Amino acid sequence: MEAACGPWLVACRHSLSSSVSSALMGLSHRLRATGYTLLVALWLLNPAALAQNISQPSPNPSGGISAGGASVRALSPAQETRAQAIGRTIRCPVCQGLPITESPSDLSQQMLRELREQVGAGQDADQITGYFAARYGDTVLLDPPRRGANLLLWLGPLAAALVGGGWLLGNVRSRGKLAPAQSIENQSDELDADDLENAPDEYLAQVKAEVRDSERSRAPSPAQPAHGRTP
Amino acid sequence: MTSKTDSNPIPAPTSPLRRFVPPVIAAALVVALGFGLFRSSNGQVGGPLVGKPAPAFTLQTLNGGTLSLASLKGRPVVLNFWASWCVPCREEAPVLRDLSEKQAANGLAVVGVVFSDKNLKAVNSFVQEYALAYPSLLDPQLNTSIAYGVSGVPETFFIDKTGVVRGYDQGGLTRERLTAGLAKIGVVY
Repeated sequence: MEAACGPWLVACRHSLSSSVSSALMGLSHRLRATGYTLLVALWLLNPAALAQNISQPSPNPSGGISAGGASVRALSPAQETRAQAIGRTIRCPVCQGLPITESPSDLSQQMLRELREQVGAGQDADQITGYFAARYGDTVLLDPPRRGANLLLWLGPLAAALVGGGWLLGNVRSRGKLAPAQSIENQSDELDADDLENAPDEYLAQVKAEVRDSERSRAPSPAQPAHGRTP
Repeated sequence: MTSKTDSNPIPAPTSPLRRFVPPVIAAALVVALGFGLFRSSNGQVGGPLVGKPAPAFTLQTLNGGTLSLASLKGRPVVLNFWASWCVPCREEAPVLRDLSEKQAANGLAVVGVVFSDKNLKAVNSFVQEYALAYPSLLDPQLNTSIAYGVSGVPETFFIDKTGVVRGYDQGGLTRERLTAGLAKIGVVY
């Protein structure tokens, strides 16, 4: 990749390091849901992501090309708002995840110019995004259409959430079933303890009973002296 | 007390389905990733324009003349987007030069389009260095590059005699990949 960057080496290195750091940040979030993993897989399956051997010009910070788009007609404020809104859904092909409205690259500037022309010519959003998608593929759209293989992008995370949620629910339930069994076992433990605690009570009761008996036998019965004194 | 040891919970045996699901998911992901990574090894990917009419263009040549795609109708065309700052372009330039020299007699047209390169001096020295005899066109507004969906160089389009894009290649062309692309527009090389 660096070799392919040529004079843009510094910029390429910068973009590489930023992509690496963002990838690391992503890793730190640990990509828990299968949906994210699926998204990564889909991204890798995407032909645009496979263009390792392709040199890309870095975005030119100095801005657009030498004001060549003289034929761009002035748009009304409403049209300009519409153009910006559509532009925000189109990815800059030479940047990393930037819409053409935010990219200073020559290519994005020219694409935005063409987009404005089409808005000025009265084309609707679908026609304009279709124009760019026909040339760059659906990967140029930041809001991919919900059809075909793209449905995986939308339904994948949902399916992952459902499957994961189901698994979690099942797990929680099976633990719930386990818990009562454990409490029964605890009860039996308590019973054992009670037995142990009851055992001294029996002795205590026996001792008490014996003490009571001995006291009773020691105490003079009211009838005996009377009998003794009788002549 | 013996009853207590009997009442210890015995872990429920995991069903074979449960045991195999995680490795199967992991294996499926690895296969998908591997497929994605190695699919492009030959650079031949179906571009969005394949099967569609090649977008028309009329551009200036480095010599100051003009060339339009319409003027090449009836001839198979190899349209190559390149830039002087692009290293893979330097690697494929000799391959394209050979092609243009050997196939010119058979009616094949090789056309270069300079992509996102404002350094005309570097462009001219590139042409001289590789002795490119085929025309190289300037696309300062990038209109033609956008019309062909070019986002990086080199990209090569194989256009048949009827003006329909039949093949597309990303990255530096090798002779094998060039031959494969040419076969799609009926040129044996």
